[in-house]
Amino acid sequence: MRNSWAVCKREFASYFITPIGYVVVGTFAAISGLAFSASFLFYAKVSVNPGTYAYSSVPDFEETLLSPFLTFCGTLIVFIGPLVTMRLLAEERNRGTMELLLTHPLRDREIIFGKYLAALGMLLVMMGVVAVHLLIVSRYVHVEGAVLVFGLATVFMMGAAFFSLGLFVSSVTSNQVTAGALTFGLWFILYIFGSFAEDLPEANPAPEAWGEMFRNSVGFLYDFFRGFLHQLPIDFHAKEMAKGIVQPEDIAYYVLFAAFFLFLTFRSLESRKWRA
Amino acid sequence: MIEAKGLTKYYGQLAAVEDVSFSVDRGEILGFLGPNAAGKTTTMRILTGFSPPSRGTAVVAGYDIKSDPIEVKRRVGYLPESVPLYGEMLVSSFLEYVAEVKGVERGRRRAEVGRVMERCGLLEVTRRVCRNLSKGYRQRVGLAQALIGDPPVLILDEPTVGLDPRQVIEIRQVIKELGQDHTVLLSTHILPEVTMVCERVLIINRGRIVAQDTVANLARGTARTLEEIFISAVAQDAADDQPAAPVAAATGGGAL
Repeated sequence: MRNSWAVCKREFASYFITPIGYVVVGTFAAISGLAFSASFLFYAKVSVNPGTYAYSSVPDFEETLLSPFLTFCGTLIVFIGPLVTMRLLAEERNRGTMELLLTHPLRDREIIFGKYLAALGMLLVMMGVVAVHLLIVSRYVHVEGAVLVFGLATVFMMGAAFFSLGLFVSSVTSNQVTAGALTFGLWFILYIFGSFAEDLPEANPAPEAWGEMFRNSVGFLYDFFRGFLHQLPIDFHAKEMAKGIVQPEDIAYYVLFAAFFLFLTFRSLESRKWRA
Repeated sequence: MIEAKGLTKYYGQLAAVEDVSFSVDRGEILGFLGPNAAGKTTTMRILTGFSPPSRGTAVVAGYDIKSDPIEVKRRVGYLPESVPLYGEMLVSSFLEYVAEVKGVERGRRRAEVGRVMERCGLLEVTRRVCRNLSKGYRQRVGLAQALIGDPPVLILDEPTVGLDPRQVIEIRQVIKELGQDHTVLLSTHILPEVTMVCERVLIINRGRIVAQDTVANLARGTARTLEEIFISAVAQDAADDQPAAPVAAATGGGAL
């Protein structure tokens, strides 16, 4: 654990010794700030005059502004996340420092956790930016504390899950650009699969003429497949949570997602032992 | 301290090292000689736990590299051939990081970093960024990180490559001093270096050991220099084994 901490400190510091950290956090702050101001102004206009915007009364603050804004922040993190994660292991490989890392007394898991923690550190810095917006809001609007906390936690979990994917991709290549592009590509593919699933009809596609048992099993597989595709996009489970509705399966989704890709990263790093 | 038993490493079909066995005692400096691509770096990477052997194993500082890699890594200081460094870090913070990773206690870290920096002549570059260091200083920082934590075994892959003559002499002196209380495995293709620094030589060619003895013994009875011994051992091996193998490849890398 102490070793992970050493790796993490070095990794996190190097984000801010190089311009990467400032660029990433700065871009995030600029875009999320603009988005926040725009949606806040829009909400203000709507609440002054709900009728013109087809609302019967002043719309719910949490539902109309807060939750979409938090989901947007999550999506934004997914967009610039590859810039944070692409260097984690690919850069070590590229500049040969992997040889130092792997000949120092560090276990593979200590390296992986250290790197992952450093990426989560970057995520926390970005969450800090979001928290500033929310603090300002809470001075003017009464928002329940729990909603704020869970909202932030949602964005964090979504980012954390996505960063584990980025870490894994970074472990399979020695080129940062490849790692970044692949991470982004994978997210996009998951997203597209999700929107395909939206268009899939709910009904059992098996023809009526087939036997009942066969038809049922096809239907079962189809439902499973459809549900699976549906939940692939990484923000699917964040939508409800961002409103402050916490369900165990949403949390489990993100925790398992991260655990799965950390496990793959571990395997990928370990593969040097059996590959030539 | 180092005992290699039948180390073999395949890269695909190609055997980079084949059945390499040797041992180095405590307080001994073993010169590891061979033309380029002979398998020196591969052997060292196996001993340091960077890449595992396809067959065979080694015991380093009392621990098996396959079953106790972490214990081995705690006791080995390794200077890789290309001297990879974290370019953006200061020399001092890089060495402090290495000290932390190697398990030097918090209170002793600064003193330990100071000790190795003094030993490797780095005191005037402590606040420089690794990326901007000259080749000579890079090499010294690489050596310094290997020395941190005072590991009993040192594995140095071509430590004097790319240095100017004065630096070469300095580094050789450092290695010689280290050899008094450390076990050192030193690879090089600069032959005079071996005569100056090492007690014993191991010549490797195309992945196999072709000669292994003390410098004095290898030259005994003849007036031959180490160069001649090296060339004849390497050429002999090429002629014995594969008549078709180009002899030029074997002798060309000798850096004479």
